[in-house]
Amino acid sequence: MPNTVFMVLIYGLLTALATGLGALPFLFLKELSPKVLAVTNAIASGLMLGASFGLLREGAVFGTPQTIVGGAAGIAFILVAEKMLEGREVAFGDLSGRGARPILLLLVVMTVHSFSEGVAVGVAFGGGEKLATLITLAIAIHNIPEGMAISAVMRSKGSTLAACALWSIVSSLPQPIMAVPAFLFVDTFRDVLPYGLGFAAGAMVFMVLMEILPGAYESGKRSTVALWVSLTFTAMVLFQKLI
Amino acid sequence: MHSVEPVIVVLLMSCLAAAMAAVGVLPFRFGRPHQGWIGGAYALASGLMLGAGYLLMGRGLDEGALPAVAGVVIGIGYSHSIRYFAGLEALDDEAAKGRSEYGYKLILQSVLHSAAEGVAIGVAMVVELKLGVFVALALAIHNIGEGMVLADQLSPHRARLRQAAALAVACKVSQPLLALAAFALSPVLTGFLPSALGFAAGALVLLVLTELLPNSYHRSPAVSVALIVGVSAGAVVLLESLLI
Repeated sequence: MPNTVFMVLIYGLLTALATGLGALPFLFLKELSPKVLAVTNAIASGLMLGASFGLLREGAVFGTPQTIVGGAAGIAFILVAEKMLEGREVAFGDLSGRGARPILLLLVVMTVHSFSEGVAVGVAFGGGEKLATLITLAIAIHNIPEGMAISAVMRSKGSTLAACALWSIVSSLPQPIMAVPAFLFVDTFRDVLPYGLGFAAGAMVFMVLMEILPGAYESGKRSTVALWVSLTFTAMVLFQKLI
Repeated sequence: MHSVEPVIVVLLMSCLAAAMAAVGVLPFRFGRPHQGWIGGAYALASGLMLGAGYLLMGRGLDEGALPAVAGVVIGIGYSHSIRYFAGLEALDDEAAKGRSEYGYKLILQSVLHSAAEGVAIGVAMVVELKLGVFVALALAIHNIGEGMVLADQLSPHRARLRQAAALAVACKVSQPLLALAAFALSPVLTGFLPSALGFAAGALVLLVLTELLPNSYHRSPAVSVALIVGVSAGAVVLLESLLI
């Protein structure tokens, strides 16, 4: 048993590290014009919209009413967090000023959502239906577009590639932390899971629609934004079906 | 429902969806609503259509991932290019207000838009009658929002309420027509079902993002838009997993 716990932790860590790979596509992005900003925000929006619908569906498997309650709590969480951050000077990493606030919120949302995903990993291990390695691989690959969403937004605000990768990994660290207790106490955590998945979905969808997508429309042509969002949305939905 | 001919179900449901556009005109009986409400109507229409698009996309991918993705890409490309060829690409209904071409472009946009909805209803009906009814109902409520938007655009031109309602429904006539056509083609369509589902999904999603959602952000605060779109899209996604 302790051996398996160790394995769950290691696998969980690997999945968190994979999130950092999402920064790679933005290696060559240097010019930070409004056009680039529109496209990167559109990419993040499409990926996160697709991801949040997937979370809703997954939550519904474990219990639809709980997912709805969780979703409402997720929306309320973002509203409260916005209010608290309003008018405050925010600075972290290599970012500060006006651009930092939405990014901080994005990171909070992605980190909180990783808690639910960690629980999902642990419960899946405990369920023992599939091979552990396969599940880990799936989650790890699944984390890459999430890192991409974070990096797209951060990079377009002038963050270095290393900072993008680092913060992406940080946002995924709750996964290994939550996977272990969820694995040890599967039955308890299975009951909590739909609330968590709903919460993550609500917070993510709200974050996209309130901050990221309007930002994309403001800085680019609407047809360009629409194309990028639709295509990345489709890519994410496909991705979740395949994995 | 088993005693009713499936094709009658398609006809009735798609006509119901089109007719609901008239309901959106009703609030104007009590004066022109505040622009914030019109933004809300756009947001409601966006959320329901996004949810419906997501469902169709999921179904398509279940039936066959590769052809479905090809269908989605073609649907997105089709929707994008037909708007481009029709000169609607840069149609921003706030910026264009007062220009002479504004009126007919809006009607054209509305007709093209409802054609995509018709295909979506028809294809969903081919997959499963229950799914088709569900999609038609979602789009019926969506059409209330769109009827409201059209009535708002007509109101500076002093159109009568009855005329506005008639025009709102008339713009939607392509919906039952294409729903019936898609359903009639079902023997042919079954071979291409994943692609057809993908096509409908891609077309719907692009319309939301290029047409409905930006117009919504123009009129209402982002918080309200996010709330309405999130809840309505989430309701469609969750209800489908409960009912079907």
